[in-house]
Amino acid sequence: MKRLRSLFLAPAWLVIALGFWIPMGIVAAYSVLTRGMYGGVELPITAESLARFADPLYLGILAKSFVLAGIATVLCAVLGFPLALFVARASSRKNLWLSLVILPFWTSFLIRTYAWVFLLRDTGLFNTMLIATGAISEPMPLLYNDGAVITGLVYGYLPFFVLPVYATLERQDPLLRDAAADLGASPWATLLRVTLPLAAPGIRAGALLVFVPSLGAYITSDLLGGSKTVLIGNLVQNQFTAGRDWPFGAAAGMVLMSVVAVLLVLLLRRDPESLL
Amino acid sequence: MKRRVFLSGLAGVAGCGGSRTLRLNVCNWSDYVAEETIPNFEKEFGVEVRYGTFESSAELFAKVMSGNSGWDVVFPPAEDLQGLRALNLLAPVRHELLRNLDRLEPGFRRPPWDPELRWGIPYMHGSTGIAFQKHLAIRRWADLWRDPLQGRITLLDDPVEVLGACLKKLGFSINSADPVELRAAQAEALELKKRIRAFLNAEVRDQLVAGDVQAAQAWAITAQQAIAETDRVAFAHPEEGFPLFCDNAVILRESRRQALAHRFIDYLLRPDVAAAIVVATGTATANGAARGLLPAEVRDNPVLYPPEEIRRKGEWFEPQPPASRKLRDRLWTEIKAA
Amino acid sequence: MTRWLAAYAAAAYAFLHLPLLVLAAFSVNSAKSAVWERFSWKWYAEAFADRQLMEASANSLAIAIAAAVLSTVIGTLAAYGMWKRRSPVMAGSLYLSLVTPEIVWGVALLAFFQGLFRFLDVRLGLHTVIAAHVAFSIAYVVVVVLARLRTFDPALEEAAMDLGATEWQAFWRVTLPGIAPGVIAGALLAFTVSMDDYVITSLVAGVDSETLPMAIYAAARRGVSPALNAISTVIVFGLGVLIVVSERLQRS
Repeated sequence: MKRLRSLFLAPAWLVIALGFWIPMGIVAAYSVLTRGMYGGVELPITAESLARFADPLYLGILAKSFVLAGIATVLCAVLGFPLALFVARASSRKNLWLSLVILPFWTSFLIRTYAWVFLLRDTGLFNTMLIATGAISEPMPLLYNDGAVITGLVYGYLPFFVLPVYATLERQDPLLRDAAADLGASPWATLLRVTLPLAAPGIRAGALLVFVPSLGAYITSDLLGGSKTVLIGNLVQNQFTAGRDWPFGAAAGMVLMSVVAVLLVLLLRRDPESLL
Repeated sequence: MKRRVFLSGLAGVAGCGGSRTLRLNVCNWSDYVAEETIPNFEKEFGVEVRYGTFESSAELFAKVMSGNSGWDVVFPPAEDLQGLRALNLLAPVRHELLRNLDRLEPGFRRPPWDPELRWGIPYMHGSTGIAFQKHLAIRRWADLWRDPLQGRITLLDDPVEVLGACLKKLGFSINSADPVELRAAQAEALELKKRIRAFLNAEVRDQLVAGDVQAAQAWAITAQQAIAETDRVAFAHPEEGFPLFCDNAVILRESRRQALAHRFIDYLLRPDVAAAIVVATGTATANGAARGLLPAEVRDNPVLYPPEEIRRKGEWFEPQPPASRKLRDRLWTEIKAA
Repeated sequence: MTRWLAAYAAAAYAFLHLPLLVLAAFSVNSAKSAVWERFSWKWYAEAFADRQLMEASANSLAIAIAAAVLSTVIGTLAAYGMWKRRSPVMAGSLYLSLVTPEIVWGVALLAFFQGLFRFLDVRLGLHTVIAAHVAFSIAYVVVVVLARLRTFDPALEEAAMDLGATEWQAFWRVTLPGIAPGVIAGALLAFTVSMDDYVITSLVAGVDSETLPMAIYAAARRGVSPALNAISTVIVFGLGVLIVVSERLQRS
C-alpha cells in the first residue's frame, strides 16, 4: 500500500527536483552574487541586489503589479463563475460549450493580445463603430492604458478560472438543488447558499491560476499598455535582457516569490483543506 | 497498437532535426534578407541553412551569451561588439576568405568601433529620427514636446534611444556618461512621457499608416516601410543631431563551421546579392558596390541614405562604462514607472 | 434564472470569440495594414509557403502533444497519490512552481541546462523545451485533477477493493473513469499552456526548436503580419472541427 503510493508520486518528484528545485537554487544563488561586467554573475557574495528592494521605486512597482493582478482576478471570477455554471448546467452539448470556452486559447497568446490591439486602437472596430453611429466624433483612447492591460489579462487567463470551477460544479449532485427548492429556497438563494459554497475549492484553485500568471505577466503590459507601466514581470525581464543585471533580476524574482509564498501560507493556515 | 503508432510518430517528429548535409545556423534581425537569398546560397553551396531571427540586441545577447547556442553567424549592432568580445564569444574574421570585402563602402572599411574589421563585417546601417504625418512639418526633436501632439506621439521602447533623443534636444552627446546631463535628459523624458501614447518599436509602422499616430521616434527603416505604403508619412533627421547604428556580421567562436560561415558572409558581400536584399527589404546596405546597382530612387533615398551634410550630424552609439549603465538603467526604470 | 444565465453566458462567449473573429476577418484582407481593402486568400498562400513558420508550427504541435501527454500522466498519478495521502512538500513545491515568474524559471532552467551540458554532449533543442514544458505543466494538471478528486467518493474505491480488486485495478477501473473529465480538462490545460508559452521556451530553445509563439513574437514586434493571422485562423478552425468531431464520437 505505502510502496504503491510513493510510486505514484515518484515521477513527479523527479521532474520537480530536476526541473524546479535545482534550477531555482541556482537563481537564488545568483541573487546574492555580483553583477558581471557584460552580464552574467561573478563573485563575491553580496546582499546588495536584495537590499535595492527597500527602495520606494521598486516597492511601488510591486504594489501596482498586485493591484492590477487583483482586479484581473476579480473580473475573471465575475465573468467566469456564471460561465462555468452555464456549462455545467447545460442540458445538452456540454462538451461543445466547454470547448467553446477553451477554443480561443489554442491560438497563440501573442496573437490573442494583438487581436485586442485591432479592436481597441483609434481605427479599430470599437472606435469605428462608435463614430459611425454618431456616438462620438473623435476616437476614444481605448488602447495603451491600464484598462486595456486588465482586459488583456482577463481575456488571457479566463479559462484558467472556468476549467477548475466547472470541474467542481459538474460533480455537484442536482438533487441538492431540488432539496433546497423543496425546502422553499429560491433559485438565487440556492445558488448563494448551496452551489457557491460547494464550488469553493474550484473557485480558489481558479483564482490562484489567474492571479499568479497575471502577477508575472509582462507581454500584456508591453503590447496593450504600450510599455508605459513597469510591472514586476517587466522589471525581471528587463534585468535579464536589456539591463543585463542578472543578480538584480534574480533578486526581484526572489522577492516576488517570497511575497506570494507568504500569501499562500496565510491562505493555507486559514483554510487548510482548500488547496491541493 | 494505436498508441504505439502515435508515439513512434511523435518520436519521428521530434527526431527530424538530424540530417547529413552540412548545415549553417544563421540568426539575423527580421526583414534583413530577401526571400531568395537563403535558398540561393543553399543551392549554390549544396548546404542547408537554418535561418532564425531576433528583434532586439538584448534578445541576441541572451541567445549567444552561453557560448553553447549552436548559432554560427549572427548580426549584432556595433556597440555590442566590445561586450561580445569581452565575453570571448567572437571568432576573428579571416580577411583572406572574403574576396568581396573591398565591395564595402569606404566609410565602413575602417569604422570607429572596429578599425581593422577584425571581429565583424558591417552589414546594414541606419539612423533614428522622427516619422510623422506630413502636414506637421517636424524638423527637430524639440518639436515632439509641442502641445498639439498631446497623446498622438510614440517613442521607441529602448533606453539608449529615448535618453539619446532627450540628450540631443539639450545639446549633449547621445553617449553622455555625465550624471548631471543624464538627469537633465531624464527630466525631459518625464515631461515627454505625459504626452506620449505608447513606447513602440517597429509596431508603430501600421499605426503611422493608419493615421492613429501623428509623430513617432522611429528607425529610418521602419519609417521607410511606412512611407512605401502611404505618401502621407514623412521622415526627419532631427536638426539637433541623431543616433546612427550599424549591424555587423560576426562569426561565433563556438562555430564548428568557420569556413562555411566565411563563405556565407562573402556571399552576402556580393554586390548582386546585397542589392537584391536592399530592394526587397528597404534597408540601407553598407555595401558600396551594391548601392551602385540600385535604381536611382532607392540609391538616393534621403531617408535611408541622407546626404553628407545631414549625415554629419549623426553620432554612433558607443558602449557605456558600467557605472553609467547602472545609472541609465535606474533612470529608465523611473521613467517607465512614473 | 436560467434565462439570466444564458444571456450572461452569451455575453461571455461574445467576449471570448469576438477578438478571434476580427482576427479571422483580417486574415482575408488583401491589405497588409489593418485597414480593410478587399477579400483575398493571399496571406494563406504566403503562410503555407513560409518554411520558418511551418517548421515552427510543427515544432509547437510536437512539443505541446508530448508535453501534454507526459505531464498529464505524471500529474494525474501525482494527484492521485496526494489524494490518497497528503504530501505537503509536493503540494508546496507545485504551488511554488505555479507562482514562479516565468522569466525567472526560464533563466533558471537555462542555467541548469548549461551546467548539465558540461557533462553531457547535448545542446538546447526540442528535448530541453519538452522537459521544461513538462516541468511547468505538471502543477496545472495536478490542480485540476485534484479539484476533481476532492469531489470523488473514496468509498467507491474501497468498495472495489472489498470486492477483490487490487489497488492498481481500483485506480484504473474505478477512480480514473470517475475523474476522467478532470484528467481531460488537465490535459487540455497542459496542451494550452505549452502551445502558448513564449518566455520559458524562448530561453531554453535551441537552433532547431523555434516554436510558433517565438515566430509570432518575432513578426509581431515588426507589426502584425497577416500571414500570422492566417495561420492562427487555420489552427483555431482545425481544432474547432476536431473538437466537434470528438464530441460527436463521445455521444454516439
